[in-house]
Amino acid sequence: MTNERLHNEHSHERILPYLLIAPTVAVLLALSIYPLIYSIKISFQSPSGAATLQNFTRLFSDQFFLSALAHTFVYAVSALTIEFLLGLGLALLLNSQIRGRSVWRALLLLPMMLPPVVVGVVWRLLLNSNFGAVNGTLKSFGVNTESLTWTASPKLAMASVIIADVWQWTPFVFLILLAGLQAIPQEPYEAALVDGSTAWQTFRHVTLPLLKPAILIVLLLRTMDLLRVFDHIFIITEGGPGFATETLSLYIYRTAFRFSNFGYAAAMSFVLLLITNVISAGYIRMLRAREA
Amino acid sequence: MTLGPGVFVVKKHPMRKTLKYVTLFVALLATVAPIYWMSTISFKHEVDQFAVPPKWFSFSPTLEHYADAFVSRSFGQYLLNSFLVAAMSTLCALLIGTFAAYALARFRLPRNLDRKLALWILSTRMFPAIVTAVPLFLIMRDLRLVNTRVSLIIVYTAFNLPFVVWMMRGFFVEVPRDLEEAAMVDGDSRLGAFRRVVLPLVTPGLAATAVFCLIVSWNEFLFALVLTQTDDAMTLPVGIAGRVTQYGIKWGAMSAAAVVAMVPILAFALVVQRYLVRGLSLGAVKG
Repeated sequence: MTNERLHNEHSHERILPYLLIAPTVAVLLALSIYPLIYSIKISFQSPSGAATLQNFTRLFSDQFFLSALAHTFVYAVSALTIEFLLGLGLALLLNSQIRGRSVWRALLLLPMMLPPVVVGVVWRLLLNSNFGAVNGTLKSFGVNTESLTWTASPKLAMASVIIADVWQWTPFVFLILLAGLQAIPQEPYEAALVDGSTAWQTFRHVTLPLLKPAILIVLLLRTMDLLRVFDHIFIITEGGPGFATETLSLYIYRTAFRFSNFGYAAAMSFVLLLITNVISAGYIRMLRAREA
Repeated sequence: MTLGPGVFVVKKHPMRKTLKYVTLFVALLATVAPIYWMSTISFKHEVDQFAVPPKWFSFSPTLEHYADAFVSRSFGQYLLNSFLVAAMSTLCALLIGTFAAYALARFRLPRNLDRKLALWILSTRMFPAIVTAVPLFLIMRDLRLVNTRVSLIIVYTAFNLPFVVWMMRGFFVEVPRDLEEAAMVDGDSRLGAFRRVVLPLVTPGLAATAVFCLIVSWNEFLFALVLTQTDDAMTLPVGIAGRVTQYGIKWGAMSAAAVVAMVPILAFALVVQRYLVRGLSLGAVKG
C-alpha cells in the first residue's frame, strides 16, 4: 500500500460516518423537527394569521380542554395501575415452573400486536348492549344487564375504553417484566432460602429491588403511550357520550380537523408534549438514581 | 430433615399447581375469546350476529360479508393501499437507517457526537403522534400531497427511521470488528467489507427489523386518518374507522375487514417472537 493511498483511506474514514448518517439526520430534521417549529409558529397565530397569545391564554378558561386533561389523567392512572398489577402477576406466574411456557407466552401476547383499530372494533362489538357477548354471557349467568349500557353511559364508557386498553397492553407489561425476571440470577434466591425467608419476604426484598429497572422502563413506556391515547377510543366511543371519554389527543384532533383551528390545536399539543416530557424525565431520573 | 416444613410443602404443592394452571387458562380465555368472537361475527348471517345469548359455536357460516366488504365496497383498494404504504415505507427506512446504524456502531466521532446523535435520533420517536400530525397535515397540504399514498410513505419512513437505527445499531455492535478489519487488510474498502462480510451476518436482524416496521406501518391509524380521506389513498384502519363511526353499522363487513387487517399481523408476530423484547423496548409495534 503506497503512502498516498493510505492517506486517502484515512481521510475517507474520517468523512465516511458523516456521509452515512447524513440522510437519516436530513429526513428527521425535515419530518420531525421542522413540523415542530412549524407548529410553534402557528400556535402564536390567530385563525386569520395575526400574531397572538390567545391560543395559550384560552387554555386556562376552556372547560373542554380542562376536562380533556382530567379524562386523560383518569384514563392513564387507572389503566397503568391495572395493567401493571395484572402484568406483574402474569409475569411471576410464567416465571415459575410451567409446562409449555413459550406457547403460553406467545398466545398471551397476541392482543398487543393487533392494529389498535381492530381492538376498537373487537370491544365495540363485545360491549354492545343489545347483542354484545359481554352482556350476553352475563345474562346467561343470570346477571341483570339492563343498567350495563357500557359505551352509552358516561361512567361506564370510561370503563369500557380502559378495559380495551388493559386487554391490549397488559401483555406488553407482562412481556417486559417476564424478561426482567428471567434476567435475575439464582444466587440471591438461594441465599434467601438459606436464611429461611418466606415467599413474601423473598419477593419484597429480593425480586422487587432487582426488578426495579424493568418496572421503571415499562411504566415509562406505558405512561407515554397512555397520555397520548387516541386510536381505540376514536373507534369505541369517539370521545362520547357527550365528552365523557374525550382525551387530549381526541380534543386536539377535533379542534384541528373538525373545527379547523390549527393554532389552538398546536398550542394544546405543546401542553401534551410538556406533560409527557416532565413525567418521562421523572422516570429517567429514578432510573439514573438506581444506576449511581 | 424435620417433618413439619416438608409436609407443608408437599401438601401445598398440588393445590398451588392446579391454581396456577387455572389462572393461566382464565387469562388465555380472556385473551383469545374476544378475538374469536369478533371473527365469528364476520362469518355469521345477520340473524346469528344479533342472537341473544351469543352463539359461540353453532351457526351456519357464510362468506357474504367478505364479498360485501372486498367486492361491493372498497376494502380491496384499502388493503392494496395498506400493503403498498407499509412495504415502501419499510424499504425506505431500512435503506436510509441501516447506513446510519452502521456508522453509529463502528465510528467514534469527536466530542461524543456519535452518542449524542444516537440519543437525538431516538428522542424524535418520543413525541406524541398528534403533536406532529397537526403541522404535517398543513405541510402536506401546502405540498399538495394530502390524499396520496406518497404522503403516508414519507411520514412512516421518518416514523420508522429511529427504530431502524437503534435496532440495527445493536445488531452491528454484536458483529466482531476483527471480521471486517481482516477483509479490509485483504484489500476490501470499508463499504466493500460492510457489504461482503457484515451485512450477511446481520440479515436475521435486518429481517426482524423489517417485520417490526411493517407491523408499525400496517397498524398506524392517526397519521393515516389525518392524511388520507379518499378511497384511492386510505389504508385499511381508516377504512374500518369510516364504517364504524357512520350511522347504521354493517357489523359483518366491518368484522370481515378487521379480520383481514389482523391476519398478516398474526403471521408476522410469530416471525419476530425471538426479538420481541428488544424491539418493544425501543417502541416497536405501537405508534
